Amino acid sequence: MSGSKFVYVTYIRATREKIWDALTKPEFTRQYWSGTVQKSDFKKGSPWSIYAPDGRLFDEGEILEVDYPRKLVLSWRNVHFKEMANEGHTRLTYELEPFESDVKLTLTHEHDIENSKTIAAVSNGWPPLLASLKSLLETGRPLEGTTKWPKDV
Amino acid sequence: MSEKFVYVTYIRTTQEKVWEALTKPEFTRQFWYGIVLESSWKEGEPWTMVAPDGAIYDAGEVIEVEKPKHLVLSWRHQMRPELKAEGEARCTIDLETTKDMVKLTVTHEMARTGSKLIAAVSGGWPGILSSLKSYLETGKALERV
Repeated sequence: MSGSKFVYVTYIRATREKIWDALTKPEFTRQYWSGTVQKSDFKKGSPWSIYAPDGRLFDEGEILEVDYPRKLVLSWRNVHFKEMANEGHTRLTYELEPFESDVKLTLTHEHDIENSKTIAAVSNGWPPLLASLKSLLETGRPLEGTTKWPKDV
Repeated sequence: MSEKFVYVTYIRTTQEKVWEALTKPEFTRQFWYGIVLESSWKEGEPWTMVAPDGAIYDAGEVIEVEKPKHLVLSWRHQMRPELKAEGEARCTIDLETTKDMVKLTVTHEMARTGSKLIAAVSGGWPGILSSLKSYLETGKALERV
């Protein structure tokens, strides 16, 4: 065993292009991803960051690989929580594959270090976000529980 | 040492509807590869998973029932000899409500390492539970599931 890894697979009734947009564009992420927005031009080597609705920077990193609309890899470091910031950069991979008329989305969030606090935190965070993304794309409405920034953070 | 697969999803519905969808043939047929689960869903009673052609794929016993929150099944695969030889796994389904959504947690575990059954169900559950979510939220399951 080495490192820490979280893998999540979901299947969504949408096109890969729509899922890609929903994962990266502010007008979508604002609706299901706790009101956050990401800033990046999503080109290889470019910086990337996540901002809370009040403008605070929460996560930052770099775009490592872009193969639209199949694969996106980025480095990810939480800068808000000290114990996570100290762990340095994790790595996030989104993969999109056609599955008949639907799409298989595989998310892998990993770190080289054992028992990473960042990976433990995102392991709880990704399932509701991706469930809400699926609801948004399939029903036009995100899950209410994921739309707002948590009050105590 | 044991091996475990855990999958969590959130569905805009009620715990009762998720429970019914997972246990009643008229629902499972629509989102779960056409299969049905046959059981009285009482503790100590048998359950079987039956494919549309009548073949039994998995079978076991209902270990714990607390409708509509908690269901534990013993689970033994019946078709593929190498999976059947591994013996019984345990599958736990937990449901809780937060805001407008039901958190569904499926935990499938076996008391051995390198389990081929756990590897197989790890590949199966995400598609089945994604299809269940689509079915309950939109009325339509995923096409291939």
